[in-house]
Amino acid sequence: MLELKENSGKPGMENTRRHSSETPSGAAGLSLAELPVGATATIIKVMPGMRGRQKFADVGLVAGTELLMEAHAPFGGLLRVKVMETSMALHRDDAANIMLTRGEQSK
Amino acid sequence: MKKRFTIALAGNPNCGKTCIFNALTGARQHVGNYPGVTVESKSGRFELAGREIELIDLPGVYSLSSSSPEEEVVFRELTRPGIDLIVNVVDATIPQRSLYLTTQLAELAIPMLIALNMSDDAARKGLKYDLPKLEQYFGSPVVPTVGCKTGGVRPLLEKLAEIAGHPERHRARQLSYGPDIDDAVNTVAAAIDALGLKRFRHIPARFFAVKLLERDSSVRRIADFAPAHPEAEAQIRHLQDKHAIETDTFMADRRYAMLAGACRGAIIATGERRREISDKIDVVMTNKYIGLPLFFLIIYLTFWFTFTAADPLMGYIETGFAWLTDAVKAGWPDTVFPFLRNLVADGVIGGVGGVLVFLPNILFLFFAIALLEDSGYMARAAFVMDGVMRRFGLQGRSFVPLVLGFGCSVPAIMATRTIESERDRRVTIMVLPLMSCSARLPIYALIIPAFFAERYQAVMMWLIYLIGVAVALTAARILKSTLFRGDGEIYLMELPPYRMPTFRSLMLHMWDRGRMYVRKAGTIILTASVILYVCNTWPEKREFSKDYAAAAAEARRAGALTDAQIAVLEASGRLTPEQLEAVRSDRMLPPGSREAFVDPGPTAAQAAVLNAAQAADDAIARLENEKQAELMEYTISGRIGHALEPLFRPIGFDWKLTTASIGALAAKEVFVSQLGILYAEGQTDEESVPLREQLIRNYTPLQAFCIMVFCLLSIPCLATLAIIRRELNSRVYPVIEAAGLFTLAYVAALVVYQTGTLLQIGVRMIQ
Repeated sequence: MLELKENSGKPGMENTRRHSSETPSGAAGLSLAELPVGATATIIKVMPGMRGRQKFADVGLVAGTELLMEAHAPFGGLLRVKVMETSMALHRDDAANIMLTRGEQSK
Repeated sequence: MKKRFTIALAGNPNCGKTCIFNALTGARQHVGNYPGVTVESKSGRFELAGREIELIDLPGVYSLSSSSPEEEVVFRELTRPGIDLIVNVVDATIPQRSLYLTTQLAELAIPMLIALNMSDDAARKGLKYDLPKLEQYFGSPVVPTVGCKTGGVRPLLEKLAEIAGHPERHRARQLSYGPDIDDAVNTVAAAIDALGLKRFRHIPARFFAVKLLERDSSVRRIADFAPAHPEAEAQIRHLQDKHAIETDTFMADRRYAMLAGACRGAIIATGERRREISDKIDVVMTNKYIGLPLFFLIIYLTFWFTFTAADPLMGYIETGFAWLTDAVKAGWPDTVFPFLRNLVADGVIGGVGGVLVFLPNILFLFFAIALLEDSGYMARAAFVMDGVMRRFGLQGRSFVPLVLGFGCSVPAIMATRTIESERDRRVTIMVLPLMSCSARLPIYALIIPAFFAERYQAVMMWLIYLIGVAVALTAARILKSTLFRGDGEIYLMELPPYRMPTFRSLMLHMWDRGRMYVRKAGTIILTASVILYVCNTWPEKREFSKDYAAAAAEARRAGALTDAQIAVLEASGRLTPEQLEAVRSDRMLPPGSREAFVDPGPTAAQAAVLNAAQAADDAIARLENEKQAELMEYTISGRIGHALEPLFRPIGFDWKLTTASIGALAAKEVFVSQLGILYAEGQTDEESVPLREQLIRNYTPLQAFCIMVFCLLSIPCLATLAIIRRELNSRVYPVIEAAGLFTLAYVAALVVYQTGTLLQIGVRMIQ
């Protein structure tokens, strides 16, 4: 539990290292990795240069999609997100590249 | 119009494609593996309106790009000529997600039919489809289906029968990406058309143009399109600079936007969407705190089911093969080709039977796995275990196969197919043989009670298993950071809604895997059994160091019961008249007669007679065993053992242990039976007390520990190597595996033995 809380801050920093030119700390600032369980949000931007960007796009993780954080896995980095009415599990590190805005927003 | 008609079944994972496939083709399907890729793609045939239809069940994918092996397979299959129709199976309960693939399939301009599957669930969920509107939008006919219900594919069959004659009328419509993109697509398409490629004549250039703009690796790899690359790159730059469009994800973006529009018009959500039962189950199953304990409970139940419930059936099979051996030996006189007779009876039936005995385990295991997979729990298991396994360089899906490895490596390796990441799957397969399988148990069960005091026995057993697990996890870490190094693969896994599996699909799943296992027993195991049997029996020694027949006769004479002893037996009144008759004629106690003196126990006088008779039996048996040992030493196995002895001496092995370890290549249990033969104790199993005494006399506890460590870590049985070869589709991996594990086992045993000898640990019996 404690560990998870600690982790939730980290991926952003890791991300900074990986794509130093494109830090996610924009105006919005909230990434999918930081979304608490039970909260809904809308994707505003998927960071360019994110690995497997197309793969995530293919399952609907594109700007304008609304999603819900369903659960965090025990001991680790997996997140369970409901997107397009499907539950997808993805890694916190990857989720840190998906920027959100809280609440609903039309495209 | 041609008679043969090829249909490809495409759709997302978990959309019920396989249900439809099975409903259309029945059980007449064969499983084929794509080289180098783990995904299975089935094809089956059926007849419809006088046409023979070949149906190809493609792996489930979200998209036609090439970001996973499955997607590459689908891409390759769909772009090859000869596909007459695509049946796109769409999960009607989640239209927006499912129709995404449809938009891409439409670009192939291959005639298409959309099957709105699970339409009953969708209706229950309050989704209403305007079919004519959808048909108009995609330019393809749309039929509602319920794949897993009897008769649920009838509308699909009717439509197929109707359009199979003139599929070209149903070419899917081209969708628009908006003016800027369409301009770029058309420019690149013109460049591709100018190449005049014959190979892809059946697919519009537009499809490839879109892929090139997306920088799709599958299309970029096709050398034929290389001349169009500069144009595509120019357009990508143009779109980026002029319109700030990032083409790699923009297409996906546009497709989802188009769909949102289409769905708004053609799909009406009525009533309020109830919170699905599936989500409620998951609140418990994937809970951060009780998710893991629940997982362990489910795994335990799977094990119980596989090993305990299948037990009685194994007994029947064992009895059946024993009967078959006896029948062959009875019906085939040993004067006619005696070597061949024994080869068939002992080598072939014994060897193949020894493997087929595990068939109930395999079937029950795959039934349980099919249940976990089809219900949707497997994805949850991977989700809750991922955090733990990742610390060892593995992932959540590796856990179930690793645990199954305690049973038998062969089905466990087959179970790794659920691991999507090829690299993780390889690592899992490579370390799996280190999980101590049940065939190694007889070895520990023989050695531990012989060398270790009772209070240490359980600890020793636990220690051995623990060493296996620790080495496996360490090896996984090392492999992941050396041989299989690389960026972690992108992890994106769907957690499908829970579904009640149909009995039919569970049985099909089980049967598919079971059949493979039987085929293996009929090929690899058969060959190995024959080879090992020959090695263990040939060449046959004809001249022995002494005349065993004469010695046996002498022993028989010396041990013959006296008249006084026979009188004691007669007076006891416990033997049947037939048994007494045998005693009088042979002057020995006939087999089975000892049981008459068990309850109540024999009197002092009777016990003396029984002991005398036992001593005589033992003397004769010992001679017979000595002869067996001489025979064994003379055979190929014995000679190999002798030749390799210098290599094995540093780890405390003599030639007998060496020979036994070679025999263990066929199956680990063979180590015990082989050692039994070598120690001249005839038929032996792990309960054998005389063999244990022989071992105590010949080896130290340190050597015993080295034997166990070596057997645990060394080369797995041939069946495991064969399955590794098949599952990794490589001849190299089994060789690496065998060499690696041998080195590992040798080094481990060497370190233990040499350190132990140096420090004088365990060189004397501890009591």
